[in-house]
Amino acid sequence: MKEKITIITGTVGVDSHVIGTKIISRFLREKGFNVVALGAQTPAEEFIKVAQETDADAVFMSSIYGMAEMDLQGFKEKVTEAGLNDVLFYIGGILGVMKHDWKEDEEKFKKLGFDRVYPPEADIESALEDLKTDLKAKGKM
Amino acid sequence: MIKVSQQKIDEDKFMEMRKEVIAAWPTLKEIDLEEAVAYQKSLPDSKVFYKELQRMGAEHRTVNFPRAGTPILEDEIELVRSINALGVTCTPLTTDSYTRNGMFEKAQQGLEESIKTGKPKLNGYPIVNHGLKNNRKLVESVDGCLDPRCSAIANSQVAEMAFASGMNGMPCSFFAWFSGYDKKATVAELLTTAQYMGRLMGYYAERGVIINADCHGFLPNSVYPGSINIATQIICALNVITQGAKCVMPQVNLQGCLAQDLGDLRAAPRLFKKYLEKLGYNDIIIPGIVGSQVPLFPYPQDVGSAFGYSCYTAMVAALGKCPIAFVKTIDEALGVPSLEAHEQTYKATNWIFNVVRQQNFPIDNDVIQQEENLTFNEVSQILDKVLEMGDGDICAGAVKAMETGVIDSPFPINMHAKDEVVGIRDLNGACRYLEFGNLPFSEDIKDFHRAKVAQRAAAERREMNYYVSLEDFWAISKGQLIGKPSK
Repeated sequence: MKEKITIITGTVGVDSHVIGTKIISRFLREKGFNVVALGAQTPAEEFIKVAQETDADAVFMSSIYGMAEMDLQGFKEKVTEAGLNDVLFYIGGILGVMKHDWKEDEEKFKKLGFDRVYPPEADIESALEDLKTDLKAKGKM
Repeated sequence: MIKVSQQKIDEDKFMEMRKEVIAAWPTLKEIDLEEAVAYQKSLPDSKVFYKELQRMGAEHRTVNFPRAGTPILEDEIELVRSINALGVTCTPLTTDSYTRNGMFEKAQQGLEESIKTGKPKLNGYPIVNHGLKNNRKLVESVDGCLDPRCSAIANSQVAEMAFASGMNGMPCSFFAWFSGYDKKATVAELLTTAQYMGRLMGYYAERGVIINADCHGFLPNSVYPGSINIATQIICALNVITQGAKCVMPQVNLQGCLAQDLGDLRAAPRLFKKYLEKLGYNDIIIPGIVGSQVPLFPYPQDVGSAFGYSCYTAMVAALGKCPIAFVKTIDEALGVPSLEAHEQTYKATNWIFNVVRQQNFPIDNDVIQQEENLTFNEVSQILDKVLEMGDGDICAGAVKAMETGVIDSPFPINMHAKDEVVGIRDLNGACRYLEFGNLPFSEDIKDFHRAKVAQRAAAERREMNYYVSLEDFWAISKGQLIGKPSK
């Protein structure tokens, strides 16, 4: 059990779509979490660095511009290298360029090291329920 | 700290600055400015952005102003030609996000992978990597003119490459970069970048080539009145005009309330004229206003709602006599638009343009006038305050205004912005201020907004707050203008 759960939020790569991550950050803060909001245009490495520095429990990553796959090349290896295997990594948004199959996105991003992958229409309430389940499974909540 | 002013950069200093700009990627060194001016002069009127716009106005026409950017040259030519076939003659050219951020090596890698696999691996056209030869092939292979899109970091490189390639329209809005594209840069840094582009436009203008500067202003990231956006557009326009640019194009963001949208369309050109003249510029071309679609596109993807929303924008742009309208495609909610979606969307909007705009229908009533006057007064109060803060220097004033929240808006990307303003809709769907932050409005104006918000609170018997503002933000996705509580 941890006294306060720390969550890192932000939009990965050079994606500038900031509204979603701002709303998520405010929502999680109001639900009592310690939120470290990195905002838009956050390199994948910065998520890892800040997660180490803040002893984070979860990372809520957003991407809307379709290029997340390129931004997250080798992400799983970097997470392992940084000793962050116990941190929950969630990603959501529009995860590919042009029309594409959502199931493929999910598989692709799970291989890149994400615990949960959300389509763009996912709502934050359900992600919060998932988070609680996952944190309980890790004995952190 | 960079010290900014509206003083024109002298040509020797500009040439020094230029050396650094073109050192960023090998293709930029191919540019010879004198040869580029000659190339621009050799183009027919149909490939000159501002002349195309003026022609649309004279012929009582509205046309689509879509986005089109895909990495492979042949695909880009095909994409632009396919939208040309739908009557589009002024085409914004979307550059990819790596290019926008000056990551030309990454863009090169993405371009090569795209060519190798035959599939787009970038979300736009890497104009700098393509170089003069490919870009001119694109210009010459399509109808009409191209208007490349970029953001702050690589703006100078993209402008250099675009103008030398025969493109002659481009956004100049550092406030758009500040609010929507650049997380860390200060307004002063971004303004300086835009000045470089203004000075480059000035260089071409002095040699007889007029390049149009699209003014976007602070991006309308949420539901709130248009006054901040229009005020910041005018600052962006003056920033390039003081550097020698001769042509600026306002844009009005159509948010769904008819009276307010039409009122803003009438107020914007009056305001541009007022402040251009106030600073002593009487020879600037304003070729027409863009009617632009905001805010959140109906989501999740739903073709019916998407058509409804896009056709609303087309209708208001046509009634407002805009020569061009920036309408998103019906698959906007899915990501980068497909060719098919462009076709379907623009056939629908063309139907409206052809039927409605051709009638040149006069639009006027008290409600529209009230909104027009409100916007006129709000923008004037903001700009007068900015000029006062800069002792008459619009650029110096803009930096101070941003630092103090005299200019502010909801959901900016930039960490230096205050983000203390919140907007909300009133009972008629007009956007009002719920929280003013430090916007420099008179009590009369603030009271008007407060009264409108109070009317809605009374009618809905609930408090008007941030979460109601978010409901308004999502309302268009639900086929409504005014948000309702989720059950």
